[in-house]
Amino acid sequence: MKKGLLGTMMLVLSLALLSACGSANKIVIGAQTYSEVKVIAEMYKALIEDRTDLKVQVKPDLSSSPVVINAMKSGEVDMATLYSGEIFNNHFELKTEPKTREEVVEAGREGFAGLGITWFEPYGFENTYAFTVRKEVADQLGLKTISDLKEHAKNMKLGVDTTWLERPNDGYKAFSQHYGIEFGQTFPMEIGLVYEAVANKEVDIVLAYSSDARIKEFNLVTLTDDKQFFPPYDALPVARTKVLEEHPELKEIIPLLHGKITLDKAIALNYEVDVNKRSEREVALEFLRKEGLLE
Amino acid sequence: MSDFFAFLVERFPDLLKALQEHLIISITAVVLGCLAAVPLGILLAGNRSKWLHSLVFGIANIFQTIPSLALLALLIPLFGIGTKPAIIALFLYSLLPILRNTYAGFTSVDPGVIESARGMGYNKAQRLFQIQLPLAFPYIMSGIRVTTVYIISWTTLATLIGAGGLGQFIFSGMGVNKKELIFLGAVSAILLALLADFVLGIVERRVSRKVKPSQSASAV
Amino acid sequence: MNIIEYIQNNWLLLLELTGGHILMVVCGLALALAVGVPLGMVCARNEKLGSWILAGANIIQVLPSLALLALLMLVFGLGFKTVVVGLFLYSLLPIIRNTAVGLQQVDKSIMEAGKGVGMSPLQMLLKVQFPLSLPFLMAGLRVAAVIAIGVATIAPLIGGEGLGREIYAGINYRNDTRIIAGAVPAALLAILADFFLGRLQKKLK
Repeated sequence: MKKGLLGTMMLVLSLALLSACGSANKIVIGAQTYSEVKVIAEMYKALIEDRTDLKVQVKPDLSSSPVVINAMKSGEVDMATLYSGEIFNNHFELKTEPKTREEVVEAGREGFAGLGITWFEPYGFENTYAFTVRKEVADQLGLKTISDLKEHAKNMKLGVDTTWLERPNDGYKAFSQHYGIEFGQTFPMEIGLVYEAVANKEVDIVLAYSSDARIKEFNLVTLTDDKQFFPPYDALPVARTKVLEEHPELKEIIPLLHGKITLDKAIALNYEVDVNKRSEREVALEFLRKEGLLE
Repeated sequence: MSDFFAFLVERFPDLLKALQEHLIISITAVVLGCLAAVPLGILLAGNRSKWLHSLVFGIANIFQTIPSLALLALLIPLFGIGTKPAIIALFLYSLLPILRNTYAGFTSVDPGVIESARGMGYNKAQRLFQIQLPLAFPYIMSGIRVTTVYIISWTTLATLIGAGGLGQFIFSGMGVNKKELIFLGAVSAILLALLADFVLGIVERRVSRKVKPSQSASAV
Repeated sequence: MNIIEYIQNNWLLLLELTGGHILMVVCGLALALAVGVPLGMVCARNEKLGSWILAGANIIQVLPSLALLALLMLVFGLGFKTVVVGLFLYSLLPIIRNTAVGLQQVDKSIMEAGKGVGMSPLQMLLKVQFPLSLPFLMAGLRVAAVIAIGVATIAPLIGGEGLGREIYAGINYRNDTRIIAGAVPAALLAILADFFLGRLQKKLK
C-alpha cells in the first residue's frame, strides 16, 4: 500500500511538471475583466490559429491593466489590449505632456517600448470613465455635465471600480482637485456590479466604463466631462517585443483589427456578452465572419 | 523602509476606516452565527433523531463547501451590494464550525454527571445552564475562535461586492501597481487575524482551566 | 439561460477549468506531503523542535488566504507558481500534525517487538511506524485537500487558473448562472475529495 501511494505521488508530480512545460509554440493573450477585451482576445485567438500554426491560450479576468502589464513584463502574457490613457498610471516617466489622442498614443508607444512592449494602432473606439446616473436623477437635478454635480456630490453615494480611488493621475484625488467635487461616500467594487447598483438605487452615481452596453440597458445617463479631466483611452493591441521577434507573422495579424471596431460596434459586442449572455468566443467568431476576416 | 512609514502615516485614516468596516462585518457575522448555531447545536445534542442531525449538518456543510467568492456574489440579487450580503454570506459560513463544536461539547458531557444532577433535583433549565453549558463551553469557545479567524480571512473578499474592508488595499494596490498598498492591506489583515486568534485563544484557555481536566476540549 | 443549458454549451471550458483547479491543488498537496511528512516525523521524535514546527504551521493556518497569496505574489509574481506555494503552505499543518499524531499513537508493544527483532530506530520508523500511521496521514490529507480546493477558488485573483475564473466572470457579468457553474463543481470537488480520501483512509485501517 505504501508503495502504491508513493508511486501515485510520483506519477502525479511528473504529470504536473510535464504539463507545465510544453509552452514553446504557445501565445498567451491576457484580458482584463470586462467583455470587449475578452472578445477581442478571442478574435485574435481565432485569427492566429487560423492563419498560423501557433496555439493560443486566452487568460481572462486579470483584475486590472497594471496586472496585465506586469504579466507581460514577466513573460506570462504575450499579447493584450490596453487603453492609451494607461500611460498616466505610473508605468514609466512621462517626458512630454501629451494632450491629443495621437500624442497620447505616441507617448505610450515610446514609453512602453522601453518596457519591452510594442504598441499597435488603435481599434477605433475609446473606453473612458463616465460618471453615470439614473435618468430620473439627471432630469430631477438637471445634470448634464460633471460640473453640474458640484452642490449635489456631497450628498451622493458613488460606486466605482476597485482601483479608481487609488489611481494617481486620473483617479479620485486628482479629479477632486480638478473639479472641486467631493462625494459623500465612495463604494469601490467589481466594475461589473456598478450598473445594477445605480439602477437599483443602492448608490446614486457610478463611474462606469463608457463602452459598456449596460448603460443603455438600465436606462442610465452619462455626464459630459466639461472640464476635460479624463485623458483619452483609445483601445489598442499590444504585444511583447520579444514575442514579435520570435514570431514575425504576428506583426501581420495584429493590425487586422485596426480601425475595425468603432464605439458602436464595441458597445454591440459588449451587449451580446453582458446582456444576451453569449460566450465571448461565439461573439468573436460571429464578428470576424461578418467582417470577412474568417470563413 | 522610511518611505513605507511615511506612507503608513499618510494612509492611516483610510486604514482605520477599512479596519472598522472589516470588523463590523466579521464580528456581526460571528455573533449572528453564535446566536443561530449554539442553540441549534444544543438542540441537536439533546435530540435522538438521526435524520435531523444529517439534515442540519448537511445543510451547514453545503454552505461550507460553496466557495466564499461565489456565496458573496450569489446573495447580491437578494440583498443588494455592500455590507448586508457580506454579513449574511459570512454568517452562513460561520454556522458549521460553531454548530459542530457546540454539538461536540454537549455530547462530551458525561451522562453520569447529568444523571446525578437530575437526581439532585436540577430541572432541565438548571441542568442546561449550570451543568452542561459550563462543561461544553471550552468546546464552544474553541469553535468561536476558529470561526472568527476564518471569517476575518474571508471578509477580505467583501470589498469586491462593495462592502469595503482591508481587502480594499490589496485589490486597489494590485490595480494601480503599488506594492505598498498591497503590503499594507495584506499585513493588516494578517495582524488582525493573528490578534483575534491570540486573544480568543487566551479566553479559551481560561475557560478550559475552570473546567475539570477530564473534560478539557481539543481544538476541532 | 439556465444552468443546464450553460453547462451543455460550455462543458469543455468547465472541464478545462476543473482540470486546472485540480492540478493546482494536487501540486500544492504533493509539495506539502513531501515537506510535511518528514517534518511530522521530526515532531514525533523531538518534542521541543516539534512544538516549534507545529506553532509555525499553526500560524500559517491563521493567515487570511487572500493576504498570504497577495504577499506571495509580491515575491513570486502572478500565476500558477504562487498559488501552488500558497496551497502548499495551507496544507502543511494538517499533514504535519496528523503525521506526528499517527506516528506517536503506534502501540508501544509493536515498537518493543521491532526493537526485539533488531531493527534500528530508522528502520522502525520507516517499516513499522509509518505504515501504521497511514490512516492518520490520510485524515490529514483529507482535511488539507478540502482546504486547498477552497483556497484555490481565489487563485484567479492573482493570475491563477481554476473554477474561480467562472465565478469571477459571473460576478462581473452579473451572470449568476456562471457563478453557479463555477461554484458547484468546486463544491463537488471538495465533497468528492473528502469522500474518496475518507474511503481510502478506512481501507488503510
